This record gives sequence, C-alpha cells and structure tokens, in this order.
Amino acid sequence: MSENAPIVRFEHISMQFPGVLANDNVTLEIRKGEVFALVGENGAGKSTLMNLLYGLQKPTLGRIEIKGKPTSPHHDPTRAMAMGVGMVHQHFKLVPGFTVAQNIALGMEPKKHKLFYDQKRINAEVTELCERFGLPLNPQDTVGELSVGLQQRVEILKALHRGADVLVLDEPTAVLTPQETEELFQVIRRIVAEKEMTVILITHKLGEVMRLSDRVGVMRRGKLLDVLNTSETDERKLAALMVGREVLFSELREGAPGTREVLSVDRLSALDDRGLPAVKGISLTVHEGEIVGVCGVEGNGQTELTECIMGMRPQTGGTVTLNGRNISRLDPRQIRAMGVSWIPEDRLRTGLSAQATVTENLLVGKQRLPEFSRFSLHYRKGNARRYGEKLASEFDIRSGGLELPVGSLSGGNMQKTILAREFSFDSPVLVISQPTRGVDIGAIEFIHEKIMEKRNAGCAILLVSADLDELFRLSDQLVTIYEGQITGRFPNGEIDREEIGYYMTGGR
Amino acid sequence: MSTGFLQSVRTLFALKPKQKLTAQYLLSLFAAVALAFLVGAGIMLLCGYDPITCYAALFKGALGKPRALGNTLAKTVTLCLTGLAMSLAAKAGIFNVGGEGQLYLGGLAAAVVGARMNGSPAWLIVACSLLAAMAAGGAYAWIPGALKVKLKVNEVVTTILLNSAAIYFCSYMANGPLKTAERGIESGTDSIASYAAFTPLIRLSNLTTGVFYAAVITLLVWYLMTRSTVGFEMKITGTNERFARYGGIRADRLALWGMTLSGMICGVVGLLEVFGLHHRFMTTISSEFYFDGMLVAMIMRYQPFGVILMSFFFAILNIGGSAMELSAGISSEVMLIVQSVIIFFMAAEGGISEKLRAGAAARRIRRDARRAGKGAAV
Repeated sequence: MSENAPIVRFEHISMQFPGVLANDNVTLEIRKGEVFALVGENGAGKSTLMNLLYGLQKPTLGRIEIKGKPTSPHHDPTRAMAMGVGMVHQHFKLVPGFTVAQNIALGMEPKKHKLFYDQKRINAEVTELCERFGLPLNPQDTVGELSVGLQQRVEILKALHRGADVLVLDEPTAVLTPQETEELFQVIRRIVAEKEMTVILITHKLGEVMRLSDRVGVMRRGKLLDVLNTSETDERKLAALMVGREVLFSELREGAPGTREVLSVDRLSALDDRGLPAVKGISLTVHEGEIVGVCGVEGNGQTELTECIMGMRPQTGGTVTLNGRNISRLDPRQIRAMGVSWIPEDRLRTGLSAQATVTENLLVGKQRLPEFSRFSLHYRKGNARRYGEKLASEFDIRSGGLELPVGSLSGGNMQKTILAREFSFDSPVLVISQPTRGVDIGAIEFIHEKIMEKRNAGCAILLVSADLDELFRLSDQLVTIYEGQITGRFPNGEIDREEIGYYMTGGR
Repeated sequence: MSTGFLQSVRTLFALKPKQKLTAQYLLSLFAAVALAFLVGAGIMLLCGYDPITCYAALFKGALGKPRALGNTLAKTVTLCLTGLAMSLAAKAGIFNVGGEGQLYLGGLAAAVVGARMNGSPAWLIVACSLLAAMAAGGAYAWIPGALKVKLKVNEVVTTILLNSAAIYFCSYMANGPLKTAERGIESGTDSIASYAAFTPLIRLSNLTTGVFYAAVITLLVWYLMTRSTVGFEMKITGTNERFARYGGIRADRLALWGMTLSGMICGVVGLLEVFGLHHRFMTTISSEFYFDGMLVAMIMRYQPFGVILMSFFFAILNIGGSAMELSAGISSEVMLIVQSVIIFFMAAEGGISEKLRAGAAARRIRRDARRAGKGAAV
C-alpha cells in the first residue's frame, strides 16, 4: 500500500433515519497513518458516519471500503473488527468488576486445554501489549476503580488487542480532565507515529483538532462541507464553517431593554446526568425587555443551566434570584407560579407528552383553573376543546385534528404547540432553549416574531441556542459558554460571528 | 406466589401503561383470544376430548344457569376491582404489585370490626368495616408508595415483598390471637354479625348485595380516571412523568395517592370476600385474586372500561373451567393454558406489530432513497 493510499473510503454515503437525513451523500477518504478529525455540531452526522464504518448501522445508500475491500452487506462490529476497525465510544463498554486484563480478553479469552480460562496467559499478553504500545497499565487492577482516563486507555487497548489499525475515537476528551486529555494526545501521537495506526477523531473542540490532527473534515446537517489540511486552516475558519449560516430575516427589535433586573443567576454550579460538573460557577443577569442569548456549542452546560433555573435539576452551588426572591430551592410548579415560562430544548422528552392529544398538551398548567375544572374535580372537556382550538388557530398549529396525539405532528407544529402553551401564561419571564431546532424556515420566522413580540412587551428572556444567526438576530446581550463557564459577554453588535465562534470553543 | 405471580411480573414489563387501546390493538386481542381457543382445542383433541363439547360445557357452566351466572358475576366483581386498583396506580405511573397483601389486611380489618360491633345497626357495621378495610389496605399501600416517592425505592420490589409480610401476619392473627372460639373452625376469626353480612342476590350463588358497593367503586374509579381533572393529570404523568413535572403537575403526590387509593380498593375486595362469602376472616379468602386482576388490567392497558369487559371474559374462563371439568371430564387446567396463551400473545403483541411496522418503514425509506439516487444518476 502506498504512502497516501486511502485506508477507509466512504462513497456517496446517505443515511436516512425516520424524518432525518443524517448523512447526505458523503464521500470521504481517510489516509493510512493520519489523524483525521471529523468536526461538526451535535446532530451534524459525524457519529452516524462512524457508526456506519463500525457496522452499528447500515447505510441507506452508498458503499464503504476498508483497505480497498468493500464491506460485506452484513457488515457488523464483529466484521469491522476483523477488518481492523476499532471504536472507542463516548460511554465505555467495560465490566467494572473485572480486571483490566479480563476486560481486554473478554470475548476472546485464551484457554488452557481448550477448556479452562487461562488467567496467567492473559495477564502476560496484556502486559506485553501495554509495553508494545507504551501504555502503562496494571493488568490486575479492577476497572471500576480506575480513573476515567485509564478506563479509556483500557478501551483503546481492547481495540488494539483485537488487531485494530484504524481507531475511531468518539468525543474522547468529553469526559477527561485537562491532564488526562494531554496524556491521551501523547498516546495517540505515539501509536500513530510508531505503529502505523490511523486515528479518526470525532470532536467539536477545535483546539484539539488544531493540535492533533493532520486533516480535518467539517460536517453540517449531514453534509461533508469541506476537507482541509489542518496546517492550512485555523480555528476561526473552522468555527465559521461549523456553525455559519446566512441571515435571511429582517430586524424586529423595538426600543432599548429596561434596567430592572428580573432574573439573575449567581455563581451557579450543577452536575450533569453522569455526575460530572456541567455548570461551573455561571453568573448572568436578565433585565426586563431584554433577551440574553447564551451561545455555545451544545453540551457545554446549557441544558443543565436552564434545568437548574427551572427547578428540574438540583444545583450544587450558587443562587437563582427572580425579582429579588431566591428561587434556588423551589420546584417547577412554584417557579411557574411566580411567572416563569420555559420552552425546553427537548420537545418529546420534556416539552410534550407525545401520546396525549394536542389539546391536552396545550392545556397542561391550566387544568386546575375554574374554566377547565369544576370544583377542581370535573375536567371540563368542552371548554378545553374550545380553548385548544383558539390557541391552535392563533399559533397556526397544523394538525390532522386536535384530538390526535401530539406526537403525530411535524416538528415545527410540535414546537408551535409548546410555544402556544408557554406564551399563553403571559409570564413576564421566559427561558427558551433551542426554539427553532428542526423547524422549517417559515416556522422559524414565525417563532422569532413571537419571541420578539414578548421582548418588546417587556418580558425578560433567556435564550439558549446553538444557532448563531438566531442569537445574533434576537439577543440584546450575548454570552458565550464553554465547558460550563461563561467565556465572554458582549452587547449584540459589538462582536462578529467569527470572533464569537472563537470564544464558543474555549479560544480565550 | 406461583404461576400467577411469575406471569404477572413478566407481563408487567411487556405491557407498558403508555399504550392506548387502539382499534388495531383490539384486533390483535381478538386474534389472540381466537388463537388461544384454537390451542386449547388442540390440547383437548390430543387428550381425546371433543373440543366443541368441552367449549359448550365451558360456556354453559359459566352462563347457563342463574346460579352459574351469579358465580361468574361475583368473580367478575373481584377481577374488575383488583384490575381497576392496578390500573389506577399504573396510570399515575406507579406499579402496585402488592394488592394481595392489601386485600388480606382489608379483609382482616373488616372481619374484626364486623365481629366486634355485633349489636350495632347493620348499616353502621358495614360503614365502619368499609372504613377499616380501606384504612388498612390504603395504609399498607402508602408505605411502598412513600418509599418510592421520597426515597426512590423501586415499588415493584417492595410491594411484592410486603405481600408475604401481610399474608403471614394475617395468617398468624387468624390462627393465633384472633382465632375464634367457635368449634369446628380450624383457622379463622370470629364470625361477623350475621345480620350485617351481604345477602345473596341469586340463591346459592356467590353474588351478593356486595356487588352494589363494587358497582359504586367501579363508577367512581372510572370517573376519576377518565372524567376528572385528576384523571387528566394522571394521564399526563403516566405518559411522560418528566413533562408532568415540567408542567407543574405534582407527579409525586399523584403517584402516592394513586398507590394509596389502589390499596384502599384492594382492602374493599377483602371486605367483600369476608362479608359476602366467608362471614369471617380466613386465610383462604383469596387465592391470588389480585394477580389475576393485574393481568386483566395489563392486557387492557389500564383502560377502566376495557378492564370491566375483560374481567367478565376471564371470569367465564375461570368459572366455566371448573364446570367443564365436572361435566366434560377434562381438567380445568386447560383453561389456564388458554389464559396463558392469550397473555403470551398480548405480551408479544407490541413487539410483533412494532417489528412489522419498523420493517415496512425501513423498506419504504430504502426504496425511496434508491429511487431518488437513480433519478439523480440519470
């Protein structure tokens, strides 16, 4: 095989999930012995592409070649491993109670007399493997007691033990401390330089891309936009490619924001679902008639931040104050009663009950008003129906019928259902996350107008979005968030897109 | 805790409370019942019995005579109440697998009150016994409910375990401190005031005036689940607990109340057995009645109206099965097989039809993509 021969080739790969085209005609060649970084926002399709390579899913269209050989129609992880592809997932697939050696051998244990498990031999093999690749590990340590960084090393060794020479790492630094990240990079450099390995790195941290990779592919909305030599690009260019999109909309803003502080967050910190710190001492203030836009690449603590404010996630430090009252310990019901509405980022998990009808979803939160409940006992279905019809026409919710499950609506109409419900409380404070994700252009315009109407009417709005255009268009203030911390604060108009992308990826 | 228990737990995880009764589901249910009867017929043939005679004996034994009909209806009441108890809790997002223990405690409490108050007016005895039974069953269900809500202890595990505790406790009371002095009673409490006991509606059958209490409870539960504001909140909580919390519904309180009410209904079932049939508490007042009710509830996806209808059907199988054994000679266990096959198919239903649907969707997508690809290539 020549020096620059492709070791992996994707040819016109398309991957259709119900409702989403996760990969759209991707053609890509990975060269032998390089570190290739695949960057893009969440949902850009980079993990999907690698899952196809590893055989976790089958492409709808297109073909994949590994070392010049096309993959079998029944391509699966076992076959991928046999062809030399190993993958380390974000969430490790290890048995915590087993030793390092047992985990590495799992599934291909050496046998004594074809019957007995040979613990000595596997320990020796793993020791030898560690030395060969220069990854020190004690084969007899219990995996559950190792640090996350060392567990990752076990995963890498597991792939190498199975003969992988193409190693896919999915967001490898997401769970690591800076020191562990540094060690991982040394490991990657070493195995690439000495052992002719090829490493494919899935990430959205551009600093890592610049430091580690030889070439970088940028994906957005399922398409591979460009493949660049890392030495010929920089973080700003990559950030613009990753998130950039042209502005199509007109100015809606009226008047300057007020000066009264409505919502303020002070040194807030919280953990994510895995128990790792996700919000690390965030402070911000929203005034009346002001939209504060939180920009950041997804997964940098935005979700946890909004959940904390709304009382859905326990906080580990700091306070949230609403109109001078500490609301840190209140539950969502109490916070709503104080006049806060929330449009969550995750429609089907948090914002709606897919199996309940459109009307029911519109009504939640008002079901105990006398209009809809006689003596807080009898559900007044007729009134609920009329109310649903009124809201649906006001917000132009298109459905096959308001008595159908809301899950049967399109994404845009589901989003309008949430919007209609949350805006109907006439709350003076709004927390809005990803209001237009997966929504078509027409609905985006409509949703933006509605949000702006609220702002012009004096509402204090915290807007979290991964869409820079949206933030630039709607926000009065912009704050950038990176790894759970605020990295910059700018009045809208005093910073441009490229520069903000830099802050968003921890540039400063 | 044998077959019924095992079946229940298995089925529990297959039939999710989120699913609705759709036309397609009812069609599957009908198909499952038909298939189960065919399987039953096959077994009868294998054993050398004529299926038609056997099935005729089954339905005749369940519905043919007033007395048989009365017994079938009495069985329906038990299944229906226990099924509704299960549904009520499940709809609020919490599983009550401990109804059997709540039933025992309710029966014991009712029997004690019914015996001690001998001499008071009948209505007062019944009212106090009802309160006692509901308090006992409800309190016993509140424990696992509170553990779940406050400490996130899995309620399936705790309720199953609490069953045994209650059953053995009641057994001890009936054989020990509360054992009657009457002669000829091996184990059991004093009998309740005879004038307060429910009277049979059909001579010699198990159907008593207790059925009216059951009817009132059924109506109340149906109203609560389908027509009330609480029912609305339960539906939201049961379909998406996170969304309910986000929307300001007190999901925790709903679950705890769902569990407690469920236990109260089970307590009343115990009372019905005591006041209607045995006139005292005995350890034989129930033989896994609650687990049968659970199955009915799960098969009908916790829809109250469906539970009522399905209870009647299962009661026919149960009562008719014994009659069939007497008249046609084939063991009534065949009906257990038929029941199991129905449950088996209904547990697999979701998976089977989902698989069929997913397969069709994938084929469609691939076909469309291929067409689009060809179009572009040309």
